[in-house]
Amino acid sequence: MSGKMRILTSVVVIGVVAAGLGAWIIRGPGPLDFAGGTKVALADYRAGKPTGVPAKLEKASLVERGEYLAKAADCMVCHTQPGEKDYSGGLAFKLPFGTLYSTNITADKDTGIGNYSDQDFLNAVQHGKRRDGARLYPAMPYTSYTFMTDEDVLAVKAYLFSLPAVRAKAPDNTLSFPFNQRWAMIVWSAVFNPDTRFAPDTSKSPEWNRGAYLAEALAHCGECHTPRNLGFALDNRRKFAGAITAGWRAFNISSDKATGLGSWSDQNLISYLSLGHAPGHGSASGPMGEAVDHSFSQFAPEDIRSIVAYLRSVPPVPSPDLPATTAPIAPASHKEGVTADARGKMLFAGACASCHGWSGESPVSPMATLTGTWAVNDPAATNVAQIVISGTKRHTPDGALSMPAFGNAYTDDEIAAVANYVTARFGTKGSKLTAKDVAELRKQTAE
Amino acid sequence: MHMAIVLTINGETKSFDAPPDMPLLWALRDILGMTGTKFGCGIAQCGACTVHVDGKAVRSCVLPVSAVANRTVTTIEHVGSTPAGAKVQKAWLEAEVIQCGYCQSGQIMAAAALLAATPNPDDSDIDAAMAGNICRCGTYVRIREAIKQAANGRQS
Ligand code: FES
Ligand code: FES
Repeated sequence: MSGKMRILTSVVVIGVVAAGLGAWIIRGPGPLDFAGGTKVALADYRAGKPTGVPAKLEKASLVERGEYLAKAADCMVCHTQPGEKDYSGGLAFKLPFGTLYSTNITADKDTGIGNYSDQDFLNAVQHGKRRDGARLYPAMPYTSYTFMTDEDVLAVKAYLFSLPAVRAKAPDNTLSFPFNQRWAMIVWSAVFNPDTRFAPDTSKSPEWNRGAYLAEALAHCGECHTPRNLGFALDNRRKFAGAITAGWRAFNISSDKATGLGSWSDQNLISYLSLGHAPGHGSASGPMGEAVDHSFSQFAPEDIRSIVAYLRSVPPVPSPDLPATTAPIAPASHKEGVTADARGKMLFAGACASCHGWSGESPVSPMATLTGTWAVNDPAATNVAQIVISGTKRHTPDGALSMPAFGNAYTDDEIAAVANYVTARFGTKGSKLTAKDVAELRKQTAE
Repeated sequence: MHMAIVLTINGETKSFDAPPDMPLLWALRDILGMTGTKFGCGIAQCGACTVHVDGKAVRSCVLPVSAVANRTVTTIEHVGSTPAGAKVQKAWLEAEVIQCGYCQSGQIMAAAALLAATPNPDDSDIDAAMAGNICRCGTYVRIREAIKQAANGRQS
């Protein structure tokens, strides 16, 4: 080899190593690496069955098992446009670089997945590969579903194929260059898809392992609650530390005592997951409200307990922008407490006070109580502004409960004013939202 | 799913079957035939349906009946027998507040709850308590005046 060639070769080698190292650094640990115990293949795990359906459904038909798992994986919320047929796709995901539409996953042969073989379906769900070979964008959380067993994925397929096929073609994506280059997802996927099935951890309890399977493979909590890295993949160094998703803030669900779930009681966690509300912690709305209504509320009680056991084990990561404690109840009189934002106060008096009260404790329903919620204690007021814009409708065992959407009734300026008033009155530190911030938040909301 | 509901309304005990999530307003109007309380928006944005629960003004259109069991409900039919309600009704007549009347049950209930808690309200108290009660006829000026009259017990 000539001297020149040798130099060239070393440059190439160094380049490749550096790129590999860079990718490896960005990629960071996998979602379950924090546990650190000995992992065994599922087939070699004898302490229990972390995968599949809960005991009461063990003998149920394939379709029924698939239904439970499809709900646990929360397929429907993303694959259904409000008002349209279940699983017929078309829901818009507004991203900074364009809009993605979810696909029709009913068994329609032309517009859905009716022609998918079992292997095609596994390829899509676990590897992010479409039947025609094209790559899926990671808005489809296949980097989580990849942990599902083949058996569970195929049960979901059986369930989807048992439902009526719906003819519905989703609009074309409007991504800009370079994000419209699907082939680039081959590289993304090679770096960021762990592409491995769930492996139980023998140092942990069977309950923990079940919770890990449910939370990571199915419920894909991290897709909203874990911050993303430079490559838009989950940064598990800050696992469950909270992030903004679809314009809403998914709060810290690590075991941090002050800003995570560390000081929540088991009872409150169970209640929040299964009903979408826990006394003193507020109610789920936005994307989490949907997750509760369509997914967590359908979980077997023992599965909810397993998720709680698992969440408890996730290392604490603080959210430095949140206060150490949430604010106490506000004074009952409108005159006491914060009076700064006169415009915000006027709006609050007219549109909000009758349900939320001047103290923040709702005279109507504990679900509408503001005191103690992270939303009003978040100095960025993200979720306060979002819920004012789009409202909420929750289905609880006691019936539906809703807040109207004020997005069309109030200007960005008014929404900023009321959000700033609400966070100042009921939270620890008032927000400083401007009309521009509100306009920005409107853009991010999924439609 | 229906359940047996027992409520104390206007000093009387009423029992009936209703779904637990039925809004109190529907139970009042459709089951108990008490149509003095009005339906405007159904989403707590107009105040027409205001009643008192344990003396506080609450929008009955969003309040599930199951939430008021064991609590005391007062409606427009009976508010005249409370001291604040009597004063408000008198002042309302003297100031000729009412135009079409549709919003007025709610206005009177909100004003009576305000005066019971704050006997001498200033303008900001009136704003804070009454801003959520909409009047499509625009009687706001007379409402404010009547509340002040009721508070002072005099004609201005
Ligand atoms: S009907 Fe209840 S507030 Fe409008
Ligand atoms: S008097 Fe007509 S709506 Fe108020």
